[in-house]
Amino acid sequence: MQWSHQVWMRFQTFFRRHRFTEQLSDEVRFHLEEQIAENMAAGMSPEDARYAAMRLFGNSTWLKEETRATWGWLWVDEVSQDLRYGFRALRKSPLFTTVAVLTLALGIGANTAMFSLLDQVVLRLLPVNHPEQLAIVRETGNHYGNSYGPNTISWPMFEDLRDNNQAFSGMFCRFPARVTIGYGDRAAQISAELVSGSYFRVLGVGTALGRTIAPDDDAVPDSQPVVVLSYSFWRNYFDGDRSIVGRTIALNGHAMTVIGVAQPGFDGVELGAPAKVFVPIMMKTEMTPHSDGLKDRRRRLSWVTAYGRLKPGVSLEQAQLSLQPLMHSILEMEVQQPEFTRSSTPEDREPFLRNRVELLPGSENDLREDMRRPLWLLVALTGAVLLLACANLANLLLARATARERELAVRLAIGAGRARIVRQLLTESLLLSAAGAAVGLALAFLTNRVLLRIYLPADAAAEFVVSPIPDARVLAFVAGAMLLTSLVFGLLPAVRGSRTEITLSLKDRSGAPSAGGISLRRMLVGIQVALSLLLLVGAGLFVRTLRNLDSLGPGFPTDHLLTFRIDPSLNGYSDEQTKSFYQRLDINLQTMPGVDSVGFSAMALLKGYGWQNAILGKDFEGAPMEQQPVLSEVSPDYFATLGIPILAGRAFTAQDVGPAKYAVINESFAREYLPGRNPIGQRFGLVDDMEPVSPDIEVIGVIPDRKYRDLRETPPAQAYFPYLEGVHFRFMNIYLRTQVDPRQIEDELQDRMRQFDPHVPVVGLETMNEQIGFSLRTERLVASLSGVFGGLATLLAVIGLYGVMAYVVMRRTREIGIRIALGALRSNVIRMVMREAFILIGAGLVAGFSLAMALANLIRSQLYGLNARDPWTFLGAAIVLALAAGSAGFIPALRASRVDPMRALRHE
Amino acid sequence: MGKPNDLVQGTLDLLILKTVSLEPKHGWAIAKRIQQISNEVLQVQQGSLYPALHRLEQKAWIKGRWAETETGRQAKFYSLTAAGRAQLEKEAATWSRLSGAINLVVEST
Repeated sequence: MQWSHQVWMRFQTFFRRHRFTEQLSDEVRFHLEEQIAENMAAGMSPEDARYAAMRLFGNSTWLKEETRATWGWLWVDEVSQDLRYGFRALRKSPLFTTVAVLTLALGIGANTAMFSLLDQVVLRLLPVNHPEQLAIVRETGNHYGNSYGPNTISWPMFEDLRDNNQAFSGMFCRFPARVTIGYGDRAAQISAELVSGSYFRVLGVGTALGRTIAPDDDAVPDSQPVVVLSYSFWRNYFDGDRSIVGRTIALNGHAMTVIGVAQPGFDGVELGAPAKVFVPIMMKTEMTPHSDGLKDRRRRLSWVTAYGRLKPGVSLEQAQLSLQPLMHSILEMEVQQPEFTRSSTPEDREPFLRNRVELLPGSENDLREDMRRPLWLLVALTGAVLLLACANLANLLLARATARERELAVRLAIGAGRARIVRQLLTESLLLSAAGAAVGLALAFLTNRVLLRIYLPADAAAEFVVSPIPDARVLAFVAGAMLLTSLVFGLLPAVRGSRTEITLSLKDRSGAPSAGGISLRRMLVGIQVALSLLLLVGAGLFVRTLRNLDSLGPGFPTDHLLTFRIDPSLNGYSDEQTKSFYQRLDINLQTMPGVDSVGFSAMALLKGYGWQNAILGKDFEGAPMEQQPVLSEVSPDYFATLGIPILAGRAFTAQDVGPAKYAVINESFAREYLPGRNPIGQRFGLVDDMEPVSPDIEVIGVIPDRKYRDLRETPPAQAYFPYLEGVHFRFMNIYLRTQVDPRQIEDELQDRMRQFDPHVPVVGLETMNEQIGFSLRTERLVASLSGVFGGLATLLAVIGLYGVMAYVVMRRTREIGIRIALGALRSNVIRMVMREAFILIGAGLVAGFSLAMALANLIRSQLYGLNARDPWTFLGAAIVLALAAGSAGFIPALRASRVDPMRALRHE
Repeated sequence: MGKPNDLVQGTLDLLILKTVSLEPKHGWAIAKRIQQISNEVLQVQQGSLYPALHRLEQKAWIKGRWAETETGRQAKFYSLTAAGRAQLEKEAATWSRLSGAINLVVEST
């Protein structure tokens, strides 16, 4: 009862506080009038009665104020007063306000854009039940056999771990694959997630429609042709048709029954590669006709990514520790198997047995891995820009506080408390940063839309879970940035402003404004110069890295080169059909107008991965993964199409068919494995863990070293085999050397391919330059953003320096006037002012230089072709900054030299 | 211009609660009443009553209501609420314990 009454009172006094104030006045007036009446009744004159009553009552204005304070809402009035006053003060100086808001908008906007990218790509956890309990289970150490990547293990190992571990409440595994979907008359290639039966249950992901894949669906290979659709795919591809459950769609030509639609927002466990359909992993043979890892019981074929859900209260480290004995017993068993003994040497046994289980946070993935460093780097850069913007604003506010000294002095003189002045000035800062944050948020929104488009593959960008729309986390970040920045740039000037000397400021001193925190402002400019140098050096390093990567190129001409991928086996073609498909396609494309030549390669060029295998020969046998040569299977015209010359021997011809085996190697291969010999005619073999092999592949040609996996690599040892004789022919990357701009024939090529075979979709059609451009997108993003930030930083520093120097000159006008009157030359004056400017710049440069040297190690891995402490970049940045800042200082210096001694001295 | 210390404030609260416990009174009447009853000993500065009255009203110990006086004028009459009555009893008890104790100390020497 009482508290509800209290709440009611608070409510009343807030919303009706004007009426309450009036009533209080009435109350006091009534009181005074009663007292006056009594006094008059006692015989006083009306005048005396009034004064006596007021004396008895006390200071009514103050008492009313005290009374209102008991209502507890005084601060609302004060804050709204501060706000009104702040608005008025900012409106009075529109130029200052515009500059300040824009500066902050750039600073806060850049930070928000980077943060929301970082948050969504690197920090956010999977949208499943308790994502923090999920762990990726992987094996560290040397791997013997084939592997789909460092986070994969073999299917039997997954089964052993799943059935025997004590650390997890459940385990599942998955394998990502591309499949061709046919529904009605449409065909397309989409990403599928092959999942173990426990996948949905362990993740805690439910359905929007129908049911999920259950352990029963995943018990017997090839037995359950069922599929679960992702929610977004169901909406986009099937227009949200609720009757889809129970119907049949074709995946790779196999009829599959749709059993459900997964819950909205869940696109599989790999961010950046959203899965469209989920299929039991027991359907692997149907989904990936080019390899049937499930039936292939080799323990050394690693292909599934295994996940475990930690039991509540168990940490990642504890679980990892508890899994080691289990892993060791699995390894003990594996080394006994012939697959291991065949693909390794006896000396490999011991290190292999030391392999361990490693657990990674379950939300980890490749995109995260790749983007973590660059994104943190960009966040750091934008942080520096914001800091710089703050320094600039603090500087501006200090200058403004000096100009407002008189106003502040008046407010102090009529009784404003110093705390109230600080609050007032901070309110103005907060208003500025709030406006900056609002504009910044809009900027961030636009920027992120552009960044996402640059950053993601076109197909992923269309449905990527990263959205440019700010959510609660981003808004919280912006609010935090806003409060923090307004404190950082506002507090010092506010405190200084509150210390205004009343008597000094109110006297007429129009000739020379006070010192106005000039040493503070010098320091701020020094910091700005230092940060600018840091950002400029970074920009220089990243831009030159990009230029190095761009200009060095892969080693073959990339203009007029068009590439795409086809996967006829996904259409259910047999091996023979596939091979004949390629031969006919080769001829067909060669006759296409505008096409010079056509090359086929089983492995994609410059896509970041490759096929590696240990080889054996007369003098060598086996090797750990890192030293294994990179291999591919190519068509006869492949080298000619890419413009790679044959240094010795010859390229493949259509006659290079079995049973004889042929290879073309590169110079590195020859140097490493066949040193001091003529490589032509030498033989080697590919180590196979299924059976013993002999060196039966004959080298028929040698090509120069060219990059293969990515632009950053030093070309590895490479060997090529005829594509139709190989094992990887079920899908192909096709390269077309064109006479014209390759983009002009893209449409025609699509048509031609449709006519050639409407069931085999063209995937990833793009020019080689586009592909390379995309592969350099991180470098390009970092280079262009750091360039923009560096320019911005320099601009801010220049403005800051100009402001301080102009102020210095203004303060010293009289002194300069005297100097000139006494015969100082104009050039002397200029030199005097410039010396001061350059001392400031020099100090900033020294500080920035040491900072950059100290931080250089952090960005080393992001650079290519130059040192993180590259002297030319440092020197260049310093010169650019010194010139820009120097010219900013020159304007006030020139003005100083034009001081008219008569006018400077006459004043006052 | 500092706030009255706790003892004075607590005492003033007690006096007000006691004064309005019999019948609703307006501010001036409360001031007069305190003065009269204490034989003019307690000279409360009349105005300082109002912050106290409003604070007590915020705590819902007293309730203010605008009504007509005998002379036909509008005035705000304060009356004790149930919570106020409980508070009055508590404070009165505390006060007599305290004053009794002080008496003991003062008279024992």
